[in-house]
Amino acid sequence: MGSESIPSSIIQLSTVDKVLEIGRANSLWPMTFGLACCAIEMMAAGASRFDLSRFGAEVFRPSPRQCDVMIVAGTISKKMFPAVKTLYDQMPEPKWVIAMGNCAISGGPFMFDGQYGIIEGADTFLPVDVYIPGCPPRPEALIEGILELEEKITGSRRWPRVESGLSQP
Amino acid sequence: MLNNVNLPWLPGQYYAAMKWEFWWQVHFKGVNVVDMSAASLGDFLYIAVFFLGGLGFAVGPFILVFFISPRKTRNIANKTGQFIECGMDPIGPAWIRYGVVYYLYALIFLAFAVDVLFLFPVALVYDSGQFAGGIRDFVEIVIFVGILSLALVYAWKKGVFKWDRKVYHRQ
Repeated sequence: MGSESIPSSIIQLSTVDKVLEIGRANSLWPMTFGLACCAIEMMAAGASRFDLSRFGAEVFRPSPRQCDVMIVAGTISKKMFPAVKTLYDQMPEPKWVIAMGNCAISGGPFMFDGQYGIIEGADTFLPVDVYIPGCPPRPEALIEGILELEEKITGSRRWPRVESGLSQP
Repeated sequence: MLNNVNLPWLPGQYYAAMKWEFWWQVHFKGVNVVDMSAASLGDFLYIAVFFLGGLGFAVGPFILVFFISPRKTRNIANKTGQFIECGMDPIGPAWIRYGVVYYLYALIFLAFAVDVLFLFPVALVYDSGQFAGGIRDFVEIVIFVGILSLALVYAWKKGVFKWDRKVYHRQ
């Protein structure tokens, strides 16, 4: 998308902004909003076994006007396209977008020549901050995406980075 | 009362406040417990400070947020002002006018209800020795039910039982 101007406040104090950023990063409020099967993994991430609330992001709000993060969890069909745009408009600033799963990244398995039903990726019309690959991604991947977003907001990683078990010798 | 209770662990003024003579003097004999003449400007300053503190505590966040929160939000479809928050375009206002066909129909139930309510006691005593055999009681019941039935006749005439949507024109 290139550079984009983000609406700012009347008064800007860098120290206050840093404090606010820490607060925002550790209390991300996603929207209760699922488009396809990735939403099932999102629900699992919010439930007790994976427990997104450990990272402060469990408050899935039913209204876009109370949300920070839009997790585009699933295929954006052309039927839902206007709804996604409307919901993004109704979120107050500061707001971030997570593209969860292959469909939200690029159209995934539904992207082929001559397809007529889906939007090929959330970043064709939304300023996506974090991409989470997978079909669908596991709940741990969503949690890692939330942590990446926190890192993007504050500039530093609060939680230790977990190495993949497969890469260990 | 408390006169006989020995409470050595209470300080004197609290112990005095627990006795009814204390309150009797306060209320009916005009004894000044708090000497108002000693109230100085400083006391009112305390009140003012607390009042302003409370006001600031309530209004302050609004002012603070006005300055440090972003003033507008990014738009991609110009739908920020849409009232409905589910993403779908609303298909009309919620204050619609709708037919009251069932409402009138339900009101007629009242006529049936009164009818049945008064016929139950009649049914209980009609066959008892006191009333049995008289043609006068039968006539009275017929008159009663007949008058109530006029309500149904009226509603019937008015077309309540026809399931038509009624259109009212304002004068």
